[in-house]
Amino acid sequence: MGMELSCVRKGRFQQFVPILLWGFVSVFPFLPFVNDYWVDVGFFVGLYGLLGLSLNVVLGEVGLFDLGHAAFYAIGAYTTAILNTTLNIPVLLLLPVSALVASGFAYLVMSPVIHLRGDYLCIVTIGIGEIVRIIIVNNPWGITNGPNGITGVGFPAFGPFVIQTPTQFYYFVWAVVALVAFVLLRLQRSRIGRAWNAIREDEVAAEATGIDVRAYKLLAFTLGAALAGLAGNIYAAKMAVVSPQSFLFMESALLFCIVLLGGLGSLPGVLLGAALVVVFPEVFRRFASFRLLFFGLALMVTMIFRPGGLLPRKREILGLDGLDVQGFSAEKVSPVRMGQVSLEERSPVQPRELDPCPLLEVQGVTLRFGGLVAVNQYDLVVYPKRVTSLIGPNGAGKTTLFNIITGIYHPNEGKVLFKGEDITGLKPHLVVTRGIARTFQNIRLFPSLTCFENVLMGRHCRGKAGIVPAVLRTPFQLREEREFMEIAAYWLYRVGLWEYRNELARNLPYGRQKYLEIARALATGPELLILDEPSSGLNERETEELMGFLQELLQEGITILLIEHDMNVVMGISDWVSVMDMGSKIAEGSPWEVYNHPRVIEAYLGKEEEWVGSTS
Amino acid sequence: MQVFFEQLVNGVMVGSFYALVALGYSMVYGVMKLINFAHGDLFTLGSYLGYTFLVWGAAWITERAGLWWGVLGAILFAFLANAGAGVLVERMAYRPVYRAGRLPLVVSALGMSIFLQNAIMAIWGPRFQVYPGGLVPTASLRFLGLSLPLLKVVILFLSLGVMFVMYWIVEKTEFGAAVRATALDREMATLLGIDVRKVILFVFALGPALGGMAGVMNGMYYRSIQFSMGWNYGLKAFTATILGGIGNIPGAMVGGVLLGVVETLLAGYVPGGGAWKDGFTFLILILVLIFRPTGILGEKVAEKV
Repeated sequence: MGMELSCVRKGRFQQFVPILLWGFVSVFPFLPFVNDYWVDVGFFVGLYGLLGLSLNVVLGEVGLFDLGHAAFYAIGAYTTAILNTTLNIPVLLLLPVSALVASGFAYLVMSPVIHLRGDYLCIVTIGIGEIVRIIIVNNPWGITNGPNGITGVGFPAFGPFVIQTPTQFYYFVWAVVALVAFVLLRLQRSRIGRAWNAIREDEVAAEATGIDVRAYKLLAFTLGAALAGLAGNIYAAKMAVVSPQSFLFMESALLFCIVLLGGLGSLPGVLLGAALVVVFPEVFRRFASFRLLFFGLALMVTMIFRPGGLLPRKREILGLDGLDVQGFSAEKVSPVRMGQVSLEERSPVQPRELDPCPLLEVQGVTLRFGGLVAVNQYDLVVYPKRVTSLIGPNGAGKTTLFNIITGIYHPNEGKVLFKGEDITGLKPHLVVTRGIARTFQNIRLFPSLTCFENVLMGRHCRGKAGIVPAVLRTPFQLREEREFMEIAAYWLYRVGLWEYRNELARNLPYGRQKYLEIARALATGPELLILDEPSSGLNERETEELMGFLQELLQEGITILLIEHDMNVVMGISDWVSVMDMGSKIAEGSPWEVYNHPRVIEAYLGKEEEWVGSTS
Repeated sequence: MQVFFEQLVNGVMVGSFYALVALGYSMVYGVMKLINFAHGDLFTLGSYLGYTFLVWGAAWITERAGLWWGVLGAILFAFLANAGAGVLVERMAYRPVYRAGRLPLVVSALGMSIFLQNAIMAIWGPRFQVYPGGLVPTASLRFLGLSLPLLKVVILFLSLGVMFVMYWIVEKTEFGAAVRATALDREMATLLGIDVRKVILFVFALGPALGGMAGVMNGMYYRSIQFSMGWNYGLKAFTATILGGIGNIPGAMVGGVLLGVVETLLAGYVPGGGAWKDGFTFLILILVLIFRPTGILGEKVAEKV
């Protein structure tokens, strides 16, 4: 049964739909009107379903535009064909081999280009798809047999049992589809699936929340390619012939359409999309040359009326049961769990005495953008359990300095030390695991995920469960997931957003979005919280509430570094203020020292109006 | 040396076709952030329209005014008809989908591409059509010891002329500035009083129109056309667009010509190169994207974090 903390509320009927559909799939070949021809159609629905699922990992979950997916399909098919016809390796054994070769190829080829942005990645994948096809056609060293393809691929067999009739192939492919769908569903609901979705929503935010974006993107491609390789093997075995004609760009385009038609990230949607794409031309077969015409038209029409797909993915709804909210009292902030857990146990950091050792040291950091010096030899020391504020006019370089500290930029000179260790230039997600979390000036949430999921994402970097535990739902993984949910629920409640837990982040009002981002940052379990203009956009009362909240965090042992423009906040809670102007430090000290410092007044705070005629 | 020169000229010729098609791609992408997969098929449409014009109408014109006017008529006809087609495509397939985001637009574009290709096939038939020989001038020109067909030269100069006009419009006129502004930040452009609908109309009329022109010239140059030829050209043109810097109009032209030259020289000088030339094109594309993603003439646009 497992401790399913996320309850997806389904209607009575809805729960039966998947069972009915799988039931239909299981008995399909034995239905009265179904002859071998239609069993074959059923086979192809399954095959394209598998391909659609493989592309969905890349396109649906992570949001990477892959228009060259047929390349991996082709490599799987050709690996099987070549190794079977030349070395007589059994086809069934080649199933995992094809998957491995395809995924290895994907890893090698995508590594240098995985950082590319959306449309550019799209073009690269188109190029890769075409290059693979061209290589196959040109028959290097005679292994692919050129445009005529390879014939005589054997049938898969376990011992004496050979898969060769249409019905046998039908069940074979659908068994694989069922298995793959199961694995993908488990992944979808795990830490890994959530990380993928976060990357799709906002890469920069994902990286800043502790997700190793590059690794997860490559993982998606590798997995997607492996699954496509599987499909290639099955295709080769069924057709007994492979030729480059089956792997044109149109094939990749078709897969793309299947995923979008069904609904990005929706597994049942993808299978439905595959069914439509395969069955549509069959139904229109009598129109012969016009059927593709109608198909093109159907694609356009679907995008006009159902751009989200026919069975769009629904986000998980977090129910009330499983998390004992009833036991909550408003005054005593206790964490959410069945049974009582005290505050201290849930604190991210043990409160300790005021430490003389600096938590964060920025030493002589300089960053140039071409001729512009954004940050000039900046020194900053942040002591633990205190509030340090960085202030200065707009464009001074404050956010840039934060970006350097959190690893988004590499400084040209200087060092950043955290707890005595050099973290200069460390990748942002690693900086998070060290214990620094941040928010953004322009709020970067994951807009299509629920508030709960947003905060949950913060916990990702503290998790260890990989793919296998996620799919198998090992006790370790279940414990980890439960812990994550509890911590996320705790922080969501702390910032006063518990009632919004199932609301999509983008629907929240601005002020609450700021708190959501802070909750997400806190969920990473930081020692240092870096906030970029947290009070901007908040009114007086909200600002006071924020200040109160930050004081609470201080008591719990979290150190705070702020960029602020609101002098009430700066004066109200800072222990130390550093002033930046045009990339350089112009003053530093306690709030009052800085407030009365002449240079600061001149550059930032402003002097009172002088009467005309007097000297300045 | 003479062979090299000939190849070079061929390369520039082929490149100018790519450039004209690339211009359309680049403009649409720059302004709409949409990879118009149907663009290659609009190119094909243009070449078929030119063919139809020549077969039916040109005979009439040629009798009265000579071969060249027939050619010009075909080009003009394709240009105008394609402009209309482009606008129609935008209205029908893209406009209703803008609010849904980038990915549905890609599917719409793919759908339109499939639709157009099959519509062309349905109207004109699946077999190759040949541009009528008698209606295309075959005079030659002697230049630097080479014998260049006059048609080729005219096509080349026409392409260059059109590109120059496009460059001038986009870079030197006020409307061109409006186009560039819309490409950079559409929302802001509307807030500044730029009629974005006019810009979109312009882009979707002119882009395909240029493609259509290139289609006719391509038909006259290679003489045979087929409904599926748009795909290859579309992809090459897209490569050219990236090479030059996406959204950058002079870049698309430079990219196109460069691509044509590199491709032709590769096919000519590398043994067995012809079969691999498409592969090389894509390899170049990928390398450019890795090492200089903003293209040859593109600018680095940093994302403010």
